[in-house]
Amino acid sequence: MKGMDVLTLSRIQFADTAIFHIIWPLLSIGLAFYLVLMEGMWLRTKDAKFYHQARFWTKIFVLTFAIGVSSGFPLSFQFGTNWAEFSKAAGSFFGNILGFETTIAFTLETASLGIFLFGWKRVPKIIHFLSGVGVFVGASLSGFWIVVANSWMQVPRGIHMEDGKIIVDNYMEAIFNPSSLVSYGHMWLACIETTLFFMAGLCALALLNKAKESAFFLTAFKYVLGLMLIVTPLQIGFGHLIGLVVAEHQPAKLAASELHWDVNKPGDGAAWNIIAWPNEEGTGNAFELGIPAGLSLIVTDSLTGTVQGLNEFPKDERPNAIESTITFYAFRVMVAIGVILLLLSFLGAWYWWKKRLTVEGVQKDRLFWWLFVGALPLGFIATEAGWVVREVGRQPWVMYHLLKTSDAVSAHLESSVISLFIIGLTTIFAIMFILFVFFTYRIVRAGPDLSAPVP
Amino acid sequence: MTESILPIIWYFIICGELGLYILLDGANLGIGILSLFPQKEEERGIMMRLLGPIWNANETWLLVAAGSLFGAFPLVYAVGLNALYIPAGVILIGLALRAVSFEFHAYANNKRFWSGMFGVASAILVAGQGLALGGLLSGVKVVDGKFAGSLFDFATPVTFLITIGIFFSYLVLGYAYLIRNSSYQNSNETFPRILIAAGGTFIALLGATFLLPETNYVFFDRWTMSPTMYYLFALAGVIGFVSVTLAYYVIKKIHLERVYYLCLGIFVLGALGMLIGTYPYLLPGSITIFEAASPDSTLSFMLWGIGPILPIILLYNFYLHKIFARKTEGGY
Repeated sequence: MKGMDVLTLSRIQFADTAIFHIIWPLLSIGLAFYLVLMEGMWLRTKDAKFYHQARFWTKIFVLTFAIGVSSGFPLSFQFGTNWAEFSKAAGSFFGNILGFETTIAFTLETASLGIFLFGWKRVPKIIHFLSGVGVFVGASLSGFWIVVANSWMQVPRGIHMEDGKIIVDNYMEAIFNPSSLVSYGHMWLACIETTLFFMAGLCALALLNKAKESAFFLTAFKYVLGLMLIVTPLQIGFGHLIGLVVAEHQPAKLAASELHWDVNKPGDGAAWNIIAWPNEEGTGNAFELGIPAGLSLIVTDSLTGTVQGLNEFPKDERPNAIESTITFYAFRVMVAIGVILLLLSFLGAWYWWKKRLTVEGVQKDRLFWWLFVGALPLGFIATEAGWVVREVGRQPWVMYHLLKTSDAVSAHLESSVISLFIIGLTTIFAIMFILFVFFTYRIVRAGPDLSAPVP
Repeated sequence: MTESILPIIWYFIICGELGLYILLDGANLGIGILSLFPQKEEERGIMMRLLGPIWNANETWLLVAAGSLFGAFPLVYAVGLNALYIPAGVILIGLALRAVSFEFHAYANNKRFWSGMFGVASAILVAGQGLALGGLLSGVKVVDGKFAGSLFDFATPVTFLITIGIFFSYLVLGYAYLIRNSSYQNSNETFPRILIAAGGTFIALLGATFLLPETNYVFFDRWTMSPTMYYLFALAGVIGFVSVTLAYYVIKKIHLERVYYLCLGIFVLGALGMLIGTYPYLLPGSITIFEAASPDSTLSFMLWGIGPILPIILLYNFYLHKIFARKTEGGY
């Protein structure tokens, strides 16, 4: 990393932390949702099978939470350590919202978690259930405030600038800016969907390995599959809504995510590129293969609708060719996975309909089950790709059309210090990740303890 | 900037949050460090189980204070963390390692490694806090609202002494907490250790107090000018008196259940001293709360949003501690 400037290194540091961090809220929100659902069903039906579901998946939830917190602290600190100029300019709204996140949401989550994890024998059942709800609501609310803060950086509303600092004029407009609600819906569903496929993958793995408690994993798989059928189509719908918000408020980002350089002529439609590669000058595509009028149709509901191209924007106010290409392919990865997961849940439903989801059937339908094992990481990859589209695509701005990333960085940083910190953090993250995989594997291998007394 | 009371309110809210963090997590950190001393793995396990349900909620107060600071005084959040890049990094690594060592300890076969990691992480976290506080008090160079020093400015003799002082003081707090909440180590060898740690705290922080006025002119003024000098000397007298009482109880082994509260008292008095020594500065000598405050619109909105929540969190935390912080029975 020698020779890199502090701006590039700070961007690497933030990306590194964010890419690692986002994995864990995905799982903790998704698993908390499942746990509350199971414990609620247990309290309602008194059927022990729900209780065992809750107890088993809690074991994995605990891991995700600890790693999420560990990697979340560095993110919020970096706004100060590395992005002091941004924090100074935006603090009176952005800092305020992050303050809400910690005070209103995160505290609820952590305090509830203590009771949820350790209180099975110490508090009444209903209090325990409510603590689970607290964990779930706290985690979801935490995600809400983070997405609000980020959405506002994308579409800064309800404020004006004074002496290089923002002043909030209207909180409702700032918080509920055009991006925040659809973005949050998309992100929250991403948490659920990613977790469902993560769980389904683990269940499939356990079934393929003829786990002792196969029936337990098959039950979990069916619950998860049922939820998938609701979530996967909904998620694609939310994705489309975000696309419309981006088209309206960040047209340069939309053009980048499509490698769409020149506005389509009146009467002509803009093509939707399946693959494309920019030329060396960064003024157009060296080659492209697209569906005629596809982009116009998606964005404007019309075959000839106008879609602005990258060349329409001044060069220093839009993503450069490299950033555009990254955005373009990240977007396609995300969309492809969204479709694959939708098809997989339909396939699962069809097998269910055909009564082929049985413990004995697993060895006959090995391919089916391996498909779900293969889909285990896909939700994570799609989410990462989605955030790449969102963050790389809005360059060179950190606050859209208000502050550039290059003007946001802290003063008097030193490359060597940042590099050392990046190496240290990445090492710790890598170890955490490996141990998470290892412990999760072991937890699934050991299976649920169905003989444990039900309270 | 027109005079408004909101920055002052937020200043005290953040002081309260930070104070609560130190009181709650200080004991946890102290226990973490003393778990490094030679002892049976089983005893370490019991310490970790004692903290299991509460450390997370305790640690949250640090994040709450940071979040409040970011919103209410963004200039200080930005310039302060910018200047204290290295101490902040040390704190983050400590936090990360401590959080996972708790969970991995529960799952791993090699308990010894992860309980050791818990101790090491606690020590790193304490060191980071000492370096940050020391760097803050030593003075952060600011020109035109931008950090204008070097990332290594934090490393002063004062910082060194403060770090050692905090290290020992958390140790005392940790011992006191264990004595109150478990039958841990009410043994003969514990009490000399408490006294050593308390003595170490006293010497290191006294040294820091003497060096500070030379390092940062603000403290020179505060110790030499009326009325703050009277407050500070009076406070030093009270701290001395409480410390002597504490030492007396420990030596005589009486009223041991009060030791924890006396410790808390000393921390609160120390924090009060810091407040008198620095108010209205947030970065002593560089930035005051009024220069750093967000516009009133933000401060009042935050107050409406966060204000009503704080008492609820406090009650909830109290409930949490009531459920879990019972004497661990059975002894060692």
